[in-house]
Amino acid sequence: MKEKIAKLYSDLGEIGVLYQVYNIRNNVEQIAKVVPEIQEFVLWFLEGNQFGIEEMLYRDMCNNLLLILGDIVEAMEQKDMVLLHDAAYYGLMEYLQLFVATE
Amino acid sequence: MGIYEKNLKTLAKYYPEMDVMIKEAKDNLQPDLEILEEVSCDGEVILKIKRGDRICYLNGRRNAKEPAQVWVKTLGELQRNAPVFIVGVGNPSYLRELVEQTEKRIAIIVYEPSLQIFLKFLEMVDIESWMEKHLLVFWVEGIRDMDAEHVKGIFQTLFSYETLNFSRSLILPNYDVLFTEKIVDYMRIRRDIVLNEVLQFNTKEIFSHIMVRNLFSNVKYLCDGYKTTQLVEVIPRDIPGIVVAAGPSLNKNIQELKHAKGKAFIIAVDTAMKPLLDAGIEPDMFAVIDAMKPLELVKIEKARSIPLLTMLNAAPEVLDYHTGMKFFFNQGYEFAEKIFRKSKWKEGEVSCGGSVATSVFSLLYKIGINTIILVGQDLAYTDNKSHADGTFHEVMEQVDTSKFRMVEGNYEKEVPTRSDFKVFIDWYNMYIEGCKNYREGFRVINATEGGAKINNTEVMALKDAIEKECTKEVDIQACLRQLPPMLDEEGRTWAVEHLQSMPKEFVGVSKEANKIKKQYLKLDKICDKKKIDNKEYLHILKELEKHIQLLEQNEAYQLIEITMNSAKSILRNEQFLSEESVQEEGKEIARKGILYMENVVKMADVFKEYAQEVFSEEALAVQD
Repeated sequence: MKEKIAKLYSDLGEIGVLYQVYNIRNNVEQIAKVVPEIQEFVLWFLEGNQFGIEEMLYRDMCNNLLLILGDIVEAMEQKDMVLLHDAAYYGLMEYLQLFVATE
Repeated sequence: MGIYEKNLKTLAKYYPEMDVMIKEAKDNLQPDLEILEEVSCDGEVILKIKRGDRICYLNGRRNAKEPAQVWVKTLGELQRNAPVFIVGVGNPSYLRELVEQTEKRIAIIVYEPSLQIFLKFLEMVDIESWMEKHLLVFWVEGIRDMDAEHVKGIFQTLFSYETLNFSRSLILPNYDVLFTEKIVDYMRIRRDIVLNEVLQFNTKEIFSHIMVRNLFSNVKYLCDGYKTTQLVEVIPRDIPGIVVAAGPSLNKNIQELKHAKGKAFIIAVDTAMKPLLDAGIEPDMFAVIDAMKPLELVKIEKARSIPLLTMLNAAPEVLDYHTGMKFFFNQGYEFAEKIFRKSKWKEGEVSCGGSVATSVFSLLYKIGINTIILVGQDLAYTDNKSHADGTFHEVMEQVDTSKFRMVEGNYEKEVPTRSDFKVFIDWYNMYIEGCKNYREGFRVINATEGGAKINNTEVMALKDAIEKECTKEVDIQACLRQLPPMLDEEGRTWAVEHLQSMPKEFVGVSKEANKIKKQYLKLDKICDKKKIDNKEYLHILKELEKHIQLLEQNEAYQLIEITMNSAKSILRNEQFLSEESVQEEGKEIARKGILYMENVVKMADVFKEYAQEVFSEEALAVQD
């Protein structure tokens, strides 16, 4: 799973930089390509507290992750590049980074 | 006083009446979107826009500040007065970051396609300190006079070839999906103006090496030539003028022109001459203005004696070949203007518009013709061809236009065109509107049976246009024969002497350029010192300015300047560049100035020799 997370982190990072630095505004199309990986990660994270995080914090993190996922879904539906960039780059990637960083 | 009221007051301080215009627009506002407010995780008020079935955020819910900070970093160091174009204020963090992070005073032009969002913006942020720090222009759809037509003026003021490299732009994310059409229109206007700037620079660049050669070769023809303003005296105004261009549609109705002969003032563009003469139609005049026009296009015995509308910088081979009356207009080259002024005829320019046909059009308008008929003025690839058959080739090749830009057609919904043609279409649209506003009853009939639509023209078949408008008999050649050359004998003698004195003028330029070079050297020396004497520094800059102005007024320098287009552009760039310190800035100015003046001296020497050869007694005597 860690390899998949690292790959997803790298993909989302690249899309985010292209969008934010180079003004390449096709993040909706690009992120659509990694939706299965996003789903897989979210399900894996929600499966149970297997990370040794304090339970309360874990539950808050799960709720927040669901909000992020909700925003990603809404952004994909509306083709809202701003919301999608925000949810993926400043939301989901922070979660992914927890695992990439330990790696 | 709330932020909104304070902002209105601030705007009115910089743009009188803008507060009134905003209030007026607000009163007449018809909402077409819903603005929802939220607060982001980092504490910013952010907007969510509901328009039709789209809902889009203008700013991030989690991190509202960083994208704007990153954007400003990507801009790099902005140069003084550099124009930055932003589309959208619905996410004020971009504008805030730009204003606050940029220390040098820049010009920021903000286009907001939604009045509703702009009004919301005025409630959200206090812009007073922003307006003080930079030149900030808000262009808002829905406010009186802030339409596409007027925005052109702003772009034209801000864009020059020299500022293009320094300008930056941004369309706020999601604006492009929320206001696609408006933004595309806005961007098109910008693109066309940029294109025009580049086109003009490149044209100068391409022609710079031959322009002076052409001017030198052709100016002798002024001694026995005619002025376009003389035409006013002999051409009746109650007949139509016909512009025969060489677009592909000319083949469709060329034969009809026979019926207009003797009933209109027919002027053909150079490229249309071959097909016209092949069809047995002799126009009353033809026009050549292109500096590199191949002689082959007009090298037909019959064309030699047909009166010619031309310019001093037109291809000299054509002027040398031509033996008939040559009509010139004022172009602003001082060494030639002096000759024009000896002619006692009124001054008169022709608005060039970039093409020979537009020049002919302008001439016809300026000599008072009230109805102009356009023929073969396609400005598009009708039937996928660039020109009429019989012009460059007997049968013009069809090209693949599938990737061409499309514009509205006269007969078709859309026709493919090129960037330069589009510039001419825009010129016609602008020029004809002006003509109509200035002269009541002025009409333009577009009898091009194909091609691109030109605004304010009546689209009509040429046969019908001739039947309706060409009703009065006229002998144009007899009219023209009444005209004397523009210079009388005394004027002619003076003109010859004036041209023969040109080598001396270049010697003068060389001396003046050497003087300026010395001042630049002095500036360089001043900047070598650890501590600059500000008084001395400013004095030398003032002196330089004075001497450069003097040099620029010199008629011979004007000719040298033409050949130094790129060097001139580099010097102009200087005003936008700033170095780390005054010393460095001064040294850089001096370095470029010295190089430039050294080139001026070299060119003056070359030109002196050339003028001696071209304006020798023998060379000018040929014209006697």
